[in-house]
Formats: sequence, C-alpha cells, structure tokens
Amino acid sequence: MIISVNGETKTFKTEILTIQQLLEQMSFGEGIAVALNEEFVLRTTYNETNINDGDRLDILSPVQGG
Amino acid sequence: MTNITTWEIEGKRFNSRLMIGSALYPSPKIMEDAIKASGSQIVTVALRRQSAGENGDNPFWELIKELDITVLPNTAGCHTAKEAITTAMMAREVFGTNWIKLEVIGNQYNLQPDPFALVEATNVLIKEGFRVFPYMTDDLVLAHKLADLGCTTLMPWGSPIGSGRGLMNPYNLKTIRKQFPDLQLIIDAGIGKPSDAIEAMELGFDGVLLNSAVALAQEPVIMAEAFKHAIYAGRLSYEAGAMQKRDMASPSTPTVGTPFWHQFK
Repeated sequence: MIISVNGETKTFKTEILTIQQLLEQMSFGEGIAVALNEEFVLRTTYNETNINDGDRLDILSPVQGG
Repeated sequence: MTNITTWEIEGKRFNSRLMIGSALYPSPKIMEDAIKASGSQIVTVALRRQSAGENGDNPFWELIKELDITVLPNTAGCHTAKEAITTAMMAREVFGTNWIKLEVIGNQYNLQPDPFALVEATNVLIKEGFRVFPYMTDDLVLAHKLADLGCTTLMPWGSPIGSGRGLMNPYNLKTIRKQFPDLQLIIDAGIGKPSDAIEAMELGFDGVLLNSAVALAQEPVIMAEAFKHAIYAGRLSYEAGAMQKRDMASPSTPTVGTPFWHQFK
C-alpha cells in the first residue's frame, strides 16, 4: 500500500488499516493533529479511521509562528 | 502604575496590549527571554509537518507551555479558505484553544491577505465555534463584512508581513477605528520600530501584534522591552488625549513679568 505522509511517498508492506496504526508504526508521538486527504481527522477517531491506498496524510505539530 | 491599560479581548482580560510572535529569533533562549521582556501575555504559534520518529518530542512547544501564557495559533502559509479551515481545526485540537489568527495569503510578493477567502473561511469557522482573529488588509468594507459575520476582533495590517515599514495608511486605519468603536482592533504585521507601535496605539488601536521587529533586532530582548514601554506609552497617550497641533508657537513659560521685555517687530 502506498501512502503519502507529509508529502513523502511511503510504501507499507504490512497492512495498515487505521490512522492509529500508522502513527504508532512511524513513531509519531502526542501533540499532533492529522488531516487525511486535506480533511481534519478528530483525534478520537484515529482508531476507526481507515487508510486506503493512495491516501495523503498530513501530520502537524507546533512550531514557531508570527 | 495606573491600570488604565487593562483590556479584554475575546473573553479574556490582559494587562499587556502586545501580542508577540515566536518565530525568527536567533535561539530558543533569546525567544524565551524576549517574550518575557516584552511583558506580552499572548504569543502566536503555528503548525507544520512533523518528522516521523520524533515520538512527540517538541522542545519548542515545551518551552512555550512553560511560559504559561495564552497561545494564539495562526494559519500562516494557507492560500485557500479550505486550507485555512483545516489548519484551524487542527490547531484547535493541538493547542486546546478556539482562538485562531486567520491568515489566508492572496499574493506571494507582499503576502497580502486574500479578502474573499478570508471572509469565506471566517464564515465557516465562526459557525464552528472559533474566535476568529482575522489578519486583513486595511479595507473598510472588508472590516464590515467580517464584523457582520460575528468577528469581535479585527487585525488589519500596518504594512506587509516582515517589511518593518510601519503604518502605510494611517487614514484607513483611523477610519476603521472610527467606524468600529466597540471592536477590538489590533495592528498585525509591518511594525518595524517602537515608534510605529506608538503611532498605532495613538490612533486608538487596542493592541499590536508583531514578531520580526523584535526577533530581527540587533538585541531582541532589549527591543522587546522597548516595545513593552512603547505600547504602554502609546495607550496612555491615546487615553490622555493629545493636544491639538497649532501653526503658531505659543510660549509655555508665563510672559507676565518677563524681564528685559521687548516687542518683536
């Protein structure tokens, strides 16, 4: 399955079904927010939100801002 | 000190009328010291893609949390209403606040906000329960549109982001102030020197949001303190009401009893 994660194409051999599983496998910690195909995904739904081949994920965290 | 400058914005009360950015400082330590020296109680932050494998380590965010001040997330870098709306939703979850500094950039050269996308995004976000701080041009009609949507704070630019050009169009800013006496008006972007901030405050603006002017100063921490005093002084000046300008000089020292008095011809 090929997924775009933060603009980088990633190929997953093992089947990743949900956002929660992807975050754990890629060692994303807490303090993040996720958009799937440019739509915001509530943190409480990571476990039940499936990822499909070709999906685009953006995983954001706090940075400096003006 | 008098507490004349205590003010309320979006349901919270503050002493400082300076809102400060957290970007572009030479080091995290200087950022921390500058924010403290500024006396600001509101700091702007942003969201960007996180690298995998960081396990949530984020020294910047830890440092901001330790400052224990109000955070105002922005949607910097967004070019469409949809991007800004999604970013705002993500910011609300990460930062735990419904405040959002709404930026939708319409031109890459001067980073001018797109008024149409700004209105579109504001309309959605207010319905979603956000307190929107719209970064906008100094357009009076745009101000009316945003106020009609329910914005109680407006943030017109002084001049383009990071330009340090001060207030390009005091007339427009003054007009917005006159037309919206009950809204909180913040000058956001373009401030270069403390004297620019004083000018903004003397126009009757409720506060100033700046970043580059402090972060890019030769001595950011000292400049932060300079802005702290400037904004306070500017507000006091506005509250006090400046004297009218006159064409003719008028002596301040009494003329009665002047020795060696003589009449100029």
